[in-house]
Amino acid sequence: MAGSMSSDDRAEPNLTPILDMVFQLITFFMLVINFKTATLDMTLRLPVVGSVRPVETKGHDLLVLNIDKGGGLRVFGNQIENIPAYIALEAQASLLAAKRFNPELKAGDDLPSMVIIRADRKTPFRYLNAVILACQQNGFRSFSLKAMNRKEER
Amino acid sequence: MPGPRKKKRAQGEVELNLAAMLDMAFQLLAFFILTFKPAPVEGDVVLRMPPPMPTTILKNAEALGSNEKNTNPVQGLTSLVITVVGDDSGTMKMLAVGDTTVGGLEDLDRKLKSVLGDQGTGFDQVLIQVSANLNYEELMQVIDVCTRQKLAEGQRLSKLSFVQLPGG
Repeated sequence: MAGSMSSDDRAEPNLTPILDMVFQLITFFMLVINFKTATLDMTLRLPVVGSVRPVETKGHDLLVLNIDKGGGLRVFGNQIENIPAYIALEAQASLLAAKRFNPELKAGDDLPSMVIIRADRKTPFRYLNAVILACQQNGFRSFSLKAMNRKEER
Repeated sequence: MPGPRKKKRAQGEVELNLAAMLDMAFQLLAFFILTFKPAPVEGDVVLRMPPPMPTTILKNAEALGSNEKNTNPVQGLTSLVITVVGDDSGTMKMLAVGDTTVGGLEDLDRKLKSVLGDQGTGFDQVLIQVSANLNYEELMQVIDVCTRQKLAEGQRLSKLSFVQLPGG
């Protein structure tokens, strides 16, 4: 008959190395995580243009607009029903943010924010033009059109 | 006067229970693994797009016939007009610079190089007239050719405007 196990017989694994490894993994994922991808609609198939290169947009106030081939606008995964109203609202927010650095800025002035347009390659121009015109009417002047490099095509 | 000293126990080692910390670390790790989505490397075509304006700025121009010495009454023309027309499927079927039809993107590149690089023309922006049904991909090919051009002063062309052609 087996006797009761004394406290000295208990095997206690040394958890320190596994904890070290897990913390290293956490550090890695924290460094590579990019919450900007939440703004991107990954279902869109961007046009392929051979000569495009990524441009550094750090420091810019960005407005990311995803346009599908049916002309629908998606922002943070949500379908925007009233596109002109949404863009006007974003322009107001952009103006308020820009006023912190330039208090003399007023409604109707050119906004410093950059509009990033991610449109599906099959989007007819009329849908794209409607969004661009709405942006221009609200003061946005700086645009970035997204495309895939041939090498990077998914 | 110091009080009586406590005798240090021989087995007084403090052992941290790492299991709880490990549980929490694994939870954090699971969160980061599940939310990790590598961002695709996308290229940008950065443009300064003012609203479409009349293509002739008349500050330097004179009405036709008002000055017999003026042989170029439309001096002040600063926008070059490119017309892109698509077929029913949205593919490009006609491309023109001004009123000259060009054969394709390579022809467009050659034509723009000669027109924009000429100091006498004074163009500083391009106005692209696009038919409503043209696909974005086709338009991007034209934009790509335009943004590769250099103006007579040496800086890159970055001012573009779009106008939708009637119909479609």
